[in-house]
Amino acid sequence: MRYQNATAYRFLAPYLLIFAIFWVWPIIDSFMISFQATRTVPWRFAPTFNWGRLIGDPAFFNALKNTLLILVIQVPVMITLALVMAVLLNSPLLKARGLYRFAFFAPVVVGEVAYSAVFRLMFNLNFGIINKLLNSVGLPSVDWFSNVTPAMALIMIAVTWRWAGYNAIILLAGMQSIPEDVYEAATLDRVSKLRQFFFITLPLLKPVIVFCLVLSIIGTMQLFTEPFLITERGGPGGGTETLGLLLYRQGFRSLNFGYASAVAYTMAGLAIAITLVQLWLTREPK
Amino acid sequence: MATVTLNNVIKRFGVFEVVHGANIDVKDGEFVVFVGPSGCGKSTLLRMIAGLEDISGGEIAIGGKLVNDVEPADRGIAMVFQSYALYPHMSVEQNLSFGLRMTGNPKADTDRRVKRASEILRINELMKRRPRQLSGGQRQRVAIGRAIVREPQVFLFDEPLSNLDAELRVQMRVEISRLHKELGTTMIYVTHDQTEAMTLADRIVVMRAGHIEQIGRPLDLYDNPDNQFVAGFVGSPKMNFISGRIVGHDVHGVVVELAGQEKTRIAQPLTGAAPEAGSKVMVGVRPEHFGSAGEGDTDLVVRIDVVEHLGGTSFLYARTANGDDVVIQRDAANVPDASEITVSVRKSYLFDEKGLRLR
Repeated sequence: MRYQNATAYRFLAPYLLIFAIFWVWPIIDSFMISFQATRTVPWRFAPTFNWGRLIGDPAFFNALKNTLLILVIQVPVMITLALVMAVLLNSPLLKARGLYRFAFFAPVVVGEVAYSAVFRLMFNLNFGIINKLLNSVGLPSVDWFSNVTPAMALIMIAVTWRWAGYNAIILLAGMQSIPEDVYEAATLDRVSKLRQFFFITLPLLKPVIVFCLVLSIIGTMQLFTEPFLITERGGPGGGTETLGLLLYRQGFRSLNFGYASAVAYTMAGLAIAITLVQLWLTREPK
Repeated sequence: MATVTLNNVIKRFGVFEVVHGANIDVKDGEFVVFVGPSGCGKSTLLRMIAGLEDISGGEIAIGGKLVNDVEPADRGIAMVFQSYALYPHMSVEQNLSFGLRMTGNPKADTDRRVKRASEILRINELMKRRPRQLSGGQRQRVAIGRAIVREPQVFLFDEPLSNLDAELRVQMRVEISRLHKELGTTMIYVTHDQTEAMTLADRIVVMRAGHIEQIGRPLDLYDNPDNQFVAGFVGSPKMNFISGRIVGHDVHGVVVELAGQEKTRIAQPLTGAAPEAGSKVMVGVRPEHFGSAGEGDTDLVVRIDVVEHLGGTSFLYARTANGDDVVIQRDAANVPDASEITVSVRKSYLFDEKGLRLR
C-alpha cells in the first residue's frame, strides 16, 4: 500500500512541483514582501512600514469604502434580480427556454474589454443610447463618467449585467432540484403560488443563495475590470477606485510590491471575514 | 366521506393515450386499490382524481359533484405521495399544520387537528424534529398525518410504502388498514404490489396498459379471474400456466391434453361455448392446487429444480416435459426427495389464445 502511494506521488510530482513554485510560494512570498519596505532598492525588512501605512492611508480607505459600497448595494440587487430571472426561466409557460438561458449566460463569456467598450459607448454623454432613452422620457442627460455617484452606479449596473445571469443559472439549477411533489403537496394544501415561492422555494434554495452570495462577495472584493476599463482607472478622481485597482496601481504602476501585498492580504482577509459572518448569519438551525 | 365515480376517463399525453376510458365506482367509505405493473396508468388515474393531472376525456365526480374543472384543493381530497413530499425545512408539527396555517384556519382548530393526527399516528414525540431526522416509516406517518389534518372526504395514496423495507412495509400496511377502520373514510390506494392490494382492499382494480382488466373483491379476483393477466398477477407465487390443446369433450366437459405429455389430460366443465378441438389453450394451476399423484383429475410428471423451505410451507420449483416452469406448494412435511415426481391437478382454469377465461 505504501509502495503504491509512493508511486502515485511520483506521478503527481511534476504537478505538485509546479503548483508549489507558481502557486504556494507566491502566496507565502507576497505575505513576506508585505513586511518589507519595497519603495527603494534594496528592499529591507520593516514590519510596520506597509501595514502601518495602510491604517493611515486615505487612498486605501477610499478604495475600501468604494468596494464595500458596491458590495452592499450591488450584490443584494444582483442576487434578487438573478432570483427573478431564475423563476422566469423555471416557468413552464416560458417558450424557447434554451435561448433565454444562453442569453442570460452570454455576458460571462463576452470579452471584458469588448463589453467595457460597449458600456462606455452606451453611457456616453452626447451620443450614448442610455442618455437618449432618458431624454426621450423627458429626463436630463447624465454625465456618467464625470460625477462620482453616476460613475459608481454605472459600475454597479455593469457588474450586475455581467453576473446576474450567471447567478440565475446557478439558482435555476437549485430550483430544479426541489422535488415537484413538494409543490403538489402544497397545492393540495391550498397554498398559493406566491406563498409557495416564499415558504417553500426560498427556504429550500437558501444554501444555493448563500453559495451565490459568497461567490459574489469574493468577486466584488476583487473588483478590477469595470473600474479600470469603464470609468478609466477608478475615475473620476478616484471616485470608483476599488481595492483591486489600488493594488494594481501600487504594485504595477508604482512598483511598490510591499504595499500592494499588504492590500492583497487585506482584501483576502476581508472577503474571508465577511463570508464567515454571512455563513454564520444564514446557518441552518440544529 | 364520499363516493368517487369515474366515467369513461381518458388521459392522453400528446397523441399517446395512456388511460383508455376508465369506469370505476368507489363507494362511500370503501378502500379501493388500483394495482398493476409499472406504466399501466394507475398513478395517472389517481393524479387525475386529485386534480394534479388534467383529464383528456370523461367525467370524475367526488361525493356526487362533478370535479373535472375543480381545483385540487377544492376537491375534498388529501394525498400521500410515494416520496412522502414532506417540507424538508419544517418540523413535523409545521409540516402537519402548514396548509391550515396558510389558509388562515383558526389556530385552536389547527392545534386540535394536529394533536388528533399525531395521536392517531403515535408521532407526538417527533413533533419538533425535521424530516431528515426521521426514519422512512416515521416520515410516511407524518405524510399520512398531513393528509389526516385536512379532514378530507377521500384519501389518495400513491404507492406510499414502496420506499420502505419489507418489514416496515408489512407494519405500515397494518397501520393503514387500522387507520381506515378508525376513520371510515373513502380511500383509494395505488400499488404495484399485489400482496398490498390483496391485504388492504375492499375491492381491487387490476390495470394493464391503460385498461381496467377486472374489478372485484380480493378473493373473487383470486378465485375467479376474468383473464390470464389477472390470474397471473393476483396471487403469490403466481398461478402456473401450462400450454395445452383441446382434444375433445366428455361428460365432465372439455378435455385438454397438456403439451409434451400426451397421456395427461384434464377435463374442465364449461358453461359457455367450447372452442373447437385442436384449439390451443393455457391451463392455469395455482401452486396450492397441485396434489399428490392420483389425488386429482390427472397426473403430471415434473422435474424438480429447486426447493424453497419457508417453515410450514415449501415451494417446489419444477419444469414440465414441455419446458413450462411450474411452482408447486407443499406442506414442509410432504416434500419428496426424488428429482422427478408425479403430481395431480386438483383445480385448474382454462384460458383461450387471447388470454380470456373459458368458463
